[in-house]
Amino acid sequence: MAYLQVDGAIKRYGATTALNGVSFTVGTGEFFTLLGPSGCGKTTLLRSIAGFSQLSEGRIDLDGVDLLAVPPHRRDIGMVFQDYAIFPHLTVAENVAFGLKARKVPAYAIRERVAEALTTVRLTALAERLPAALSGGQQQRIGIARAMVVKPRLLLMDEPLSNLDAKLRLDLRDEIRDIQRTIGIAAIYVTHDQEEALAISDRICVMDGGRIEQIGTPQQIYGEPATRFVASFVGTMNLLPPSAFGLPSSGGVAHWAVRPERLRLAETDTPPQFSVSLTGAVEHFTYLGREAHLTVSAQGQRLVAQIAAPPSDLSIEAGREIKLAFDLRDLHGFDAEGRRVTIAPAA
Amino acid sequence: MSAITDAPRQRQGWQPDFWSLVAFAAWAILILLLLMPLSLVLVSSFRDEIGGLSLANWQRLFTSTRYFNAFVNTLVVGFGGLAGALLLGSVMAFCMARLQIAGGRFVSMLAILALVSPPFIGAYSWIVLFGSGGIVRQTLMSWGIFMPPIYGVWGILIVFAFKFYPYVYLLTSGALANINRSLEEAAENLGLTPFQRVMKVSFPLVLPALSAGGLLALIHAIADFGTPRLLGRGYNVLATEAYTAYSAEIGSNLGMATTLSLALILLSMVFVFIQRFMSRRNVYHSNLINRPEKVRLRGFANVAAHAAVYFIALGGAMPAIVAAIYSVRKTNGPVFQPGFGLESYSRIIATLGDVVRNSLVFSGMAVLLIVVVGTLIGCLVARRNTVQTSLLDATLMVPYVMPGIVVGVAFIAAFNTPPLVMTGTATIIILSVFIRRLPYAVRSSAAALRQVGPSMEEAAISLGYSPVQAFLRVTIPLIAPGIIAGAMLSFVTAINELSSSLVLYVGGTVTMPVKIYIAINDGDYGTAASLSTILLILSGAAIYLAFRLLGRDERALL
Repeated sequence: MAYLQVDGAIKRYGATTALNGVSFTVGTGEFFTLLGPSGCGKTTLLRSIAGFSQLSEGRIDLDGVDLLAVPPHRRDIGMVFQDYAIFPHLTVAENVAFGLKARKVPAYAIRERVAEALTTVRLTALAERLPAALSGGQQQRIGIARAMVVKPRLLLMDEPLSNLDAKLRLDLRDEIRDIQRTIGIAAIYVTHDQEEALAISDRICVMDGGRIEQIGTPQQIYGEPATRFVASFVGTMNLLPPSAFGLPSSGGVAHWAVRPERLRLAETDTPPQFSVSLTGAVEHFTYLGREAHLTVSAQGQRLVAQIAAPPSDLSIEAGREIKLAFDLRDLHGFDAEGRRVTIAPAA
Repeated sequence: MSAITDAPRQRQGWQPDFWSLVAFAAWAILILLLLMPLSLVLVSSFRDEIGGLSLANWQRLFTSTRYFNAFVNTLVVGFGGLAGALLLGSVMAFCMARLQIAGGRFVSMLAILALVSPPFIGAYSWIVLFGSGGIVRQTLMSWGIFMPPIYGVWGILIVFAFKFYPYVYLLTSGALANINRSLEEAAENLGLTPFQRVMKVSFPLVLPALSAGGLLALIHAIADFGTPRLLGRGYNVLATEAYTAYSAEIGSNLGMATTLSLALILLSMVFVFIQRFMSRRNVYHSNLINRPEKVRLRGFANVAAHAAVYFIALGGAMPAIVAAIYSVRKTNGPVFQPGFGLESYSRIIATLGDVVRNSLVFSGMAVLLIVVVGTLIGCLVARRNTVQTSLLDATLMVPYVMPGIVVGVAFIAAFNTPPLVMTGTATIIILSVFIRRLPYAVRSSAAALRQVGPSMEEAAISLGYSPVQAFLRVTIPLIAPGIIAGAMLSFVTAINELSSSLVLYVGGTVTMPVKIYIAINDGDYGTAASLSTILLILSGAAIYLAFRLLGRDERALL
């Protein structure tokens, strides 16, 4: 069921077009992520939904009501900001209570709901502190509590984790997902981090150059990328010319692609049916603990292979000849425009 | 993509009506108080004595020896003052930013004292010490050492150097302290000798600050009226000639006064453009991971550095110190007696209460206007980026280069005849201070607002507050300390303002600086010194308050 519906959104800044005809829907309680490189239009889109940026053309409906006719402060849409936007002159509790006061919630109810929200984000102990002394992670928790406590109709998050360090990013990512699920609120999350998008979303919308490249579940986005752009932006892809390694020629395929983790060392694994094998020279070997990366040059092509759980005595010096293999069913084909080509099984 | 890069927010929230009204009012104020008086000045410079259209005034400016000399003299004191201020200011800046100087806070306090010393009293104190009957000169003469009195062009240059060095010092020391030390280390590492390193790395990096400080010194030097008036002894500059042309008892010549004023404005503008051109590319932002360290010198070098710093700092603050001492000397009427006493102060309480009150009321009113109007225009300029607001911002640059004398003459030209007669009122003095200081308030509130960033307001709006409520409940509290600090600093300039009030005052609207000028001319030095001391105390209190609110930042005073 479409809860939020964006239809034909276009945004022009003078000669440049930030959004070029974007349409999608978000369901009730869904966690929907806008993913793309910087300048792809994802933030513009989010700000248009919040009302901080005006669409040049198009429609946005929330729960059946035309959102563009409603001024930003009456939209009842919560927002979490990249730079936190925590009010430095108010205490943590006052920050969280800020939206409730605008809604004329009685004082006793404000106290209750603020306390509850602070418990949810684990900041109860800091309620009376001023935010200046708090860490980035704590500030963003205030931001989340402040946006959630008013029980908005929709929650928008604009790269909320991008200013935090790696460890904290993982923790807060899971927290955000948990809180969103508990409350059951529809959320739109903007990020340029593909791993974050895969981890947190019900569905992902990959954008590039103001257009939607693909909308789908994380599995669809990663497993069946609709375009060459999605294939290379989400995760890593080895792109191969149509005739490399004696690959089968298929109508209209301009590029083959295969994920690094689908390449195996032919020496250790038994090659399955439909397999392609190739021999090349190792250029780099990078040991990362839980995995290892091999860059191999074979027949003028450079491929990256990822070896999961490499044995600790595995060490491959550069220049060594090595045999790699992969399953034909793991191949993706893209035509000259970069669109996915469906390949007949067992060519 | 960050939240902030997403530029235009036309309907982002401001109630269009209110802010359009602000823009309209801003233009009305600027046209009435700035553009109209200025164009009248322009027109009147093209009129002869009987009101006909002529180039006679401009012709006289370039042909009469008197005005030509004043023009040359203005350039001489301008560049001489600039050279002196650059020398003292950069020595001071280097020592304070890079060396360990004992009593550093005291030294920077002395620099502030030099900056806010009331006008005139500076020149007067130099006369007290080094004039023909000056204490220091007399003492030296009695020891058989001849010392020429301080009058004339050299005196003016010495006073300017000590008076205007804080502009160079405060800006340059800030820049020096902010150079990432890694840059200098990298230059050393790449094989540059220490001298090459200074010339090729450090100097280019502080050049923008140095030239900005130099420009302030230059503009203040060519606009300064009090120092050449008291010390020049016939060495006249454009500012003094403009005042003379305006105030001559017989044959007051407004046309000539306005022509001289325009020449002064044009001169200032030329220098502003030269400085802008010089530092057009040179805005450096370095990250400060590696702050420069202050070096501890030893032996003779250490003594020399301390001597230089304290010589400059005490020299700059000397007028204020002399005034404070003279204010508590025993007096009998205008004549100093041996010993100390509070006669000067009791005389002020007895007879000059209205002068003190005038100063406080006028400055208070002016500051109130400046804060309200300046904040509103600042918000407009910071948040609405249109051709119209850029033009507003550019127009606000004009008062920067308008010497006080010129504002005074322009106001006389504009408001002496119907429809709007204001000459002789308190209003005209308040408005002249207001228009001169308005650009500073606009700049500082726009800067404060840009620091807050739009996402704060957007957060409030997303939580259900209307744009106006969001502005009042989030933005105003956040920029309030900056606004109040700005108000305090405006108060300092307002209460010390002399040159425009000198043109505009009448018997009932005498202010403290005007009274100081009159008292010095009448030889009543005790009154002048004690009024100056009161001004210093008021200024000091305002600066203290501003620093409490803003954090200690001397550069805010410029």
